[in-house]
Amino acid sequence: MFIYEKKLQFPVKITTPNPKLAAYIITQYGGPDGELGASMRYLSQRYAMPFAEAKGLLTDIGTEELGHMEMVAAIVHQLTRNLTDEEVQKNPLFASYFVDHTTGIYPQFASGYPWSASTMQSLGDVIADLSEDLAADGAVS
Amino acid sequence: MNKENGGTRPSCPDHYGTLPSCAGLAVPYVPFQQDNPQKYSQNDALSNGTLFPGLNLPFHLKVEGSALPSNPLVELQAIEFVVLELGTYLDTHPDDTEAFEMFKQYAAMEKSAKAAYEERFGPLTRSCAANCDKYSWLKDPWPWNYQQNEVK
Repeated sequence: MFIYEKKLQFPVKITTPNPKLAAYIITQYGGPDGELGASMRYLSQRYAMPFAEAKGLLTDIGTEELGHMEMVAAIVHQLTRNLTDEEVQKNPLFASYFVDHTTGIYPQFASGYPWSASTMQSLGDVIADLSEDLAADGAVS
Repeated sequence: MNKENGGTRPSCPDHYGTLPSCAGLAVPYVPFQQDNPQKYSQNDALSNGTLFPGLNLPFHLKVEGSALPSNPLVELQAIEFVVLELGTYLDTHPDDTEAFEMFKQYAAMEKSAKAAYEERFGPLTRSCAANCDKYSWLKDPWPWNYQQNEVK
């Protein structure tokens, strides 16, 4: 199970809003290699892991990714708080996000495509899964 | 195969454009982190995003940790990050006794730092809210609501 701790892993305190940057960073939340995908990938793959080291690693890293997800969401939230109408309109990339979600946090690619489990794999095969992790995250530990 | 150099194997098995009969399809190689690796201080670890200099792959070859503010929350975050990193390391190196000793030491520091933080600023977990005079779990700020210069 999971227990929530009311703090982020790393401080996020942004003063100046930047909707354009937010429209890019959202992909790290719900994009093809974002934190949501990373946590789902590790936390799903662990059930087929035969080795204690890999069970532990996937559980612990998958859990940490949930914390990363929260930080990225906080970044996007703070980059888009207190926006003026003009700031929204002069950023076409963010404007299209705004039409669908206003300043709500929604897991999507930078292109606007919603987060999809089709960007991850869970094969039940140790080597295949670990190789997929390497490709997705650049590292497994 | 191998006739022209007297039957000895060529230095490269793929010399003639064919693989040896017993070859596997592919051999991936991932360098394995060695026991007893060098470690950063807790603040350098948090600002670099890793406890281990050996795993720090600088973006565009530029080594620069972010400048951390100095406040009670960051101090707690730095200690917790060391516990987290050592835990992940121990998952794959459970027999590194030195790392385990450090893990125990930092876990104890985390426990007291967390208690001291909660004493001053309110509960970090909902069950800890039971230690307060009244239900203070809902007290602002929530973690994503911190303002730039808010000290906590």
